[in-house]
Amino acid sequence: MVTLFNKRIRLFRPRSIWIRRVVQWLFFLLIAAIAVNHSLAESGAAIPFLSGASLHAVCPFGGVETLYTFASSGLLVKKIHDSSLVLAAIVLILSVLFGPVFCGWVCPLGTVQEWVGKLGKKFFKRRYNHFVPGKLDSVLRYARYGILVWVLYVTATSGTLIFESYDPYFALFNFWSTEVAPSALIVLGVTLLLSVFVERPWCKYACPYGAVLGVTNLFRVFSIKRAESTCKADGACSIMCPMNIEVDSVKTVRNHQCISCLECTSEAICPVAKTVVFTTGSVK
Amino acid sequence: MNLTSKPLAIIVLVVMLGGISFSSLMGWWQTETTKEPATFTEGEFAGMANPADIRGSYTLGDITNSFNIDPQILTQAFGIVTDNPAAFAVKDLEAIYLDSGFEVGTASVRLFVAYYNGLPFDTTGQEIYMPQSATDILLARGNLSTEQLAYLEAFTVNLGEAAVPAVETPVTESTPAAAETPSAVSEEYVIKGKTIFGDLILWGVSQETIEGIIGTPMPDPAMKIKDYATANGLDFETLKPALQAEVDKVIP
Repeated sequence: MVTLFNKRIRLFRPRSIWIRRVVQWLFFLLIAAIAVNHSLAESGAAIPFLSGASLHAVCPFGGVETLYTFASSGLLVKKIHDSSLVLAAIVLILSVLFGPVFCGWVCPLGTVQEWVGKLGKKFFKRRYNHFVPGKLDSVLRYARYGILVWVLYVTATSGTLIFESYDPYFALFNFWSTEVAPSALIVLGVTLLLSVFVERPWCKYACPYGAVLGVTNLFRVFSIKRAESTCKADGACSIMCPMNIEVDSVKTVRNHQCISCLECTSEAICPVAKTVVFTTGSVK
Repeated sequence: MNLTSKPLAIIVLVVMLGGISFSSLMGWWQTETTKEPATFTEGEFAGMANPADIRGSYTLGDITNSFNIDPQILTQAFGIVTDNPAAFAVKDLEAIYLDSGFEVGTASVRLFVAYYNGLPFDTTGQEIYMPQSATDILLARGNLSTEQLAYLEAFTVNLGEAAVPAVETPVTESTPAAAETPSAVSEEYVIKGKTIFGDLILWGVSQETIEGIIGTPMPDPAMKIKDYATANGLDFETLKPALQAEVDKVIP
């Protein structure tokens, strides 16, 4: 730390939250291993110490999809298991405390989009993640709520996982299986392609589970907060945000798209210590 | 209270993995069920659950999960009286019909589910008995083939109220009343005063054909044709030959 112009500035700071990458890798490998083992189990060659659960069983969104059926009949939508409800509850607790950390730290589809996005950053430099016109972008950000309503409606009325046929997450970890609908593979392909231009396009515009968790940004216990008294207003936090949130224009980030990745904080991109922080308290 | 990335990473891992471990200990962590029947592997129904794989250990709830048939329909079809239809095990069905002289059990449920959902089911060499109440529901669906209707005609049994407990609530408006069940066991395919619309369906005359002749949507399958004619100001003796001609077309 050095002090310049009465401001404490970290000269050697990490450029990103590396521990987040570790956690993302861990969950990606875990889910990939489970998905592969599930396929092996069907042919009687499962790895004994590893779960052979289906992808649906380890997806918390299944817990959301089956809520209506569960509440109205005590049954679960076909292919959904009790574990989905457990995961949904765990993720909800985490989200109420810390916001959608599931999206930023756990979800393997988000992780893969970030990996593909690295290509885009190389190709397009500062243009990356700024291709979509502002007005269109702000409207599209609400599309995921429409998709959420549609998914819940068709699941409740049909009693089956209609969304499976369009789910890029399911396609990502089952692309080798005949269970995957071509439409899901197309959605996955489009998502990955768009990830070269836009960071986390599925999360921003289409993810129904992100829509659910995003609501917790409005009342979560820990929030991203910016201390105006020490802020240099260099815009680094806003530039770094994968979800294009203008962190430098608010005191507390309540944006429904925040994924609690902490990349905007003083621990990462913000050059001034204790200026953008993840906290329960207030900052000046 | 401030939080940095490392504590947050630990919290995320502990809450996720710890939550799973805790739910495992509590018995809540169920990632699979053995109550899913095998699926058809080929043909137009590939990937769909196969009713032939329904086991006696399945509950009506399991059948609902796999075949999307309301447990109330199953209870009505098989005369099951229970406070919790979803938890009723298929294997317990035989006990209800123990004194009937006919074996109505898991195979009957398989057949009912297949016919109800229009799924293929091989009945070759099998004598699977179906309660009249179940056949009535299938007839009301109106999606049976001629072969399926013939099979039901041969193996539908009217067990009477003594053998089958009364059903608490009707499920569909088109379900025939218990007192007016189709006389499906008739050996003669001749329309008489007591012949009901359900008989025509059972004999293989399509609903569309019937409606084309009577000129209105088909009434309750349990309604006598003669009563329908009287109620609608039609001459039964004029209506009968037209319907009989259609019966003769489908009866070899």
